[in-house]
Amino acid sequence: MARHIHIVKVHHLTLSFPTRKDPDPKPVLDDVDFGIRDGEILGLIGNSGCGKTMTSLAIAGLLPDNARITHGSIKFAGKDLLAMKPKDRRAMLGKDIGMIFQEPSTALDPLMTIGKQLEEVLTAHKENTQSGEDRLKAVTDMLELVGFTNAEEILGRYPHQLSGGQRQRVLIAGAALLKPRLLICDEPTSSLDTVTTVSILALLKELCQKLRITILFISHDLSAVRGFCDRVMVMKDGKIIDKDTTSDILSNPRNAYTAELLTNARLDTRILGLEPANVDYSASPVLTARDITAGYGRSLFERVRKTSEEKTDNNVLHGVSLDVYPNEILGLIGGSGSGKTTLIRSLLGLLPHEGAVSIKSASVGAIFQDPVSCLNPAHTIKWHMSEALRSSPKDPGKGFKGRAKALKRIITVLEECGLGAKYLNRRPNELSGGQRQRIAIAMCLIQEPALIVADEPFSSLDASSSAELLKLMTDINRERHTAFLLITHNIHIVRQICPRIIVMDEGRICEEGTTAEVLTNPRSECTAALLEAERRIHGI
Amino acid sequence: MQSKAGYLLGKFIELVLTLFVVSLLVFAAFSIIPGDAARVMLGPDATDAQVQLLRSQMGLDKPLVVRYFSWIAGVFTFNPGTSYAYNMGVGELIAQRLPVTLGMSAIAMIMVILISYPLAVLSSRKPGRLGDQVCSVIGHVLFAIPPYVASLLLILLAGSVFKLMTVGTYVSPRENFISYIGCLLLPSFAIALPKIAMSFKFLRSSIIEQNSKDYVRTSKSHGLSDLKILVRHVLPNSNVSSITIISIILSDILGGSLIVEQVFNLPGLGRLLLSAISRRDFPLLSGIVFYLALITVLLYFISDIASSLADPRIRLK
Repeated sequence: MARHIHIVKVHHLTLSFPTRKDPDPKPVLDDVDFGIRDGEILGLIGNSGCGKTMTSLAIAGLLPDNARITHGSIKFAGKDLLAMKPKDRRAMLGKDIGMIFQEPSTALDPLMTIGKQLEEVLTAHKENTQSGEDRLKAVTDMLELVGFTNAEEILGRYPHQLSGGQRQRVLIAGAALLKPRLLICDEPTSSLDTVTTVSILALLKELCQKLRITILFISHDLSAVRGFCDRVMVMKDGKIIDKDTTSDILSNPRNAYTAELLTNARLDTRILGLEPANVDYSASPVLTARDITAGYGRSLFERVRKTSEEKTDNNVLHGVSLDVYPNEILGLIGGSGSGKTTLIRSLLGLLPHEGAVSIKSASVGAIFQDPVSCLNPAHTIKWHMSEALRSSPKDPGKGFKGRAKALKRIITVLEECGLGAKYLNRRPNELSGGQRQRIAIAMCLIQEPALIVADEPFSSLDASSSAELLKLMTDINRERHTAFLLITHNIHIVRQICPRIIVMDEGRICEEGTTAEVLTNPRSECTAALLEAERRIHGI
Repeated sequence: MQSKAGYLLGKFIELVLTLFVVSLLVFAAFSIIPGDAARVMLGPDATDAQVQLLRSQMGLDKPLVVRYFSWIAGVFTFNPGTSYAYNMGVGELIAQRLPVTLGMSAIAMIMVILISYPLAVLSSRKPGRLGDQVCSVIGHVLFAIPPYVASLLLILLAGSVFKLMTVGTYVSPRENFISYIGCLLLPSFAIALPKIAMSFKFLRSSIIEQNSKDYVRTSKSHGLSDLKILVRHVLPNSNVSSITIISIILSDILGGSLIVEQVFNLPGLGRLLLSAISRRDFPLLSGIVFYLALITVLLYFISDIASSLADPRIRLK
């Protein structure tokens, strides 16, 4: 095959979702025109909903059934993709175009072993006439290439027996198995912690060089793009508004929107006006936890059968103690599986545990990682808010007066969270991720809690929404004196707004102190590892 | 694996405990019901002495606990007493009638699976298109028809309108197996109709749900054809949840067959049960009720084990 300078050429592509009511809607992709050069790593950045994923699906031929390409063409190595039969396009996937996606936890069939799922990539393509043994060897070799030292053991495992990072490696192995010329990576690292992200990016770069794979890297994380991509394109509202080499775009943006994205990604306290409240550490803590020990999955029989010695073995938390003071934003960091989420579940009383938790407040608010599944899709925002209000001691009560009062309060709180009365009758699916996360905060605020526990609230949000959410949190902290327990794997955010942090590793607190001290002078290995990953990814 | 053995053991203990509670309830129900079996048997003219004699012959004068244990021992040796009305062993009576009820349930179940699976697969390929909507509407109608109404309609259609077969005959499987199946087809279909609708509706939504899962997208990106994705990924995953529904349907079918037997004049457990009720034949009644409960509990036990085999997340916890 002749080598083309551009392996993929997208030519004035316009795509929309026409419906019977609206046959000519606003296009999702509007005159998108770019080329991917052979052998390069091309970054595609932009906020959620700007059309990044649709661009990648259009190239792969996996667009939803109701999508219509109204204009333009896509060429892959000279072939016009849009003129091909759907069956032939499907056959190109895996062989010519590989793909990896955002959420590795659900991207593998839970009922099939890793080995079988990877072998399918080989058997799916007719040209491949390898024998069973050769296929097994190809799969094992690829698993070793993506960094498994125990490849043969992994073959027989099921997806639920692997960690998020391991699953993403398996998916990369599947995508690279037939050595495709183009690898489309759609936010491959956004649900992984910093340490894993760094290793996945290193792996992709290595594959790009070893197997001569061209990569289209889609992300809303600008720091991941830095140092990884050769060129970057910026997308906004279905249009590509800026493209240049990575260093030019990221250090010297000419476009105003690119500059704004960069500012938000940097989360600069001065520009965003973030100002956490002063903390009085002599006051009595709003939350005290002593010797929390907890674990999962113990059935009745196991509890009876096992001696207390064996019981501690499958515990996730081992004697964790912590205090949260009024007005404080306490940061809690640690790698995946270090027990952060288990700890807050214990603190909130959602998980049976040993040890004492005392909370000096009538109610504790909580916001979680995934704002999509946290809200009931069948109900309006007003319903969600009144439900939260009803279950709190601040409930103005039933009756006409009470309801009017409640509505007034709901609107006040929504406005405080940057949403107005016009959102009252919307349903969760009509809101963006950032807006849903604000609703989650509003639902906490309406109960006037002294403490809000936030479990990775930023990880599913793009840079702009994260910046807005962060500003909202510091405003609440300053004006309402609400304490926050912020769990995140983004050390950058912690550095900006938390006066004090706790570092967790393997279910224990391995370090705690003021943020400046811990992050400049780490005493424990796990803190050092987290900081090293942070340094490599952000290039600080 | 130790956890697997533990899981099986736990399920087995659950099974035994359930059966114990069921046996207690059945026994208690028929002991508490007013009416003296001995007096019923002897008729209104019997003297107290005669009744007393029969009571002691039947063991009705012994304490409740003793009677319970001798009954439970009988149940598990398949000999739970003698029927008052037929003067035969309860076990023998049930064994005579079981082929009708079980055969009918099995045929109905096979019909449900053979019809609802292909329809669900076809219908879920493009949800919302005409064929799918027609299937759904017919499904809703069928779902609303009780089995006995369906039986009457089928008898009318097959027996009188089209004159396909003589309804209401029964051939034992030992005489002629093919005629045995033949005479059970129509009643089985009557039971199966609403269950086909139920199973179709459930399977269809389960397949549609699985189709939107991330791993389907991954398989597409691996270049698998739609058919391969359906057979290798979507159907096995939807089966995990279907197993439970199928077991519920199966126990429903068993219950439904009791009524349909009446309409089709088949000598099955249902008719035996009704005659036992009308004659206050308590040993027979409690025997039938207990064995039906036993079959249902066993079905659920098997479905639990089957879903643990189908899903490695339960198997390898």
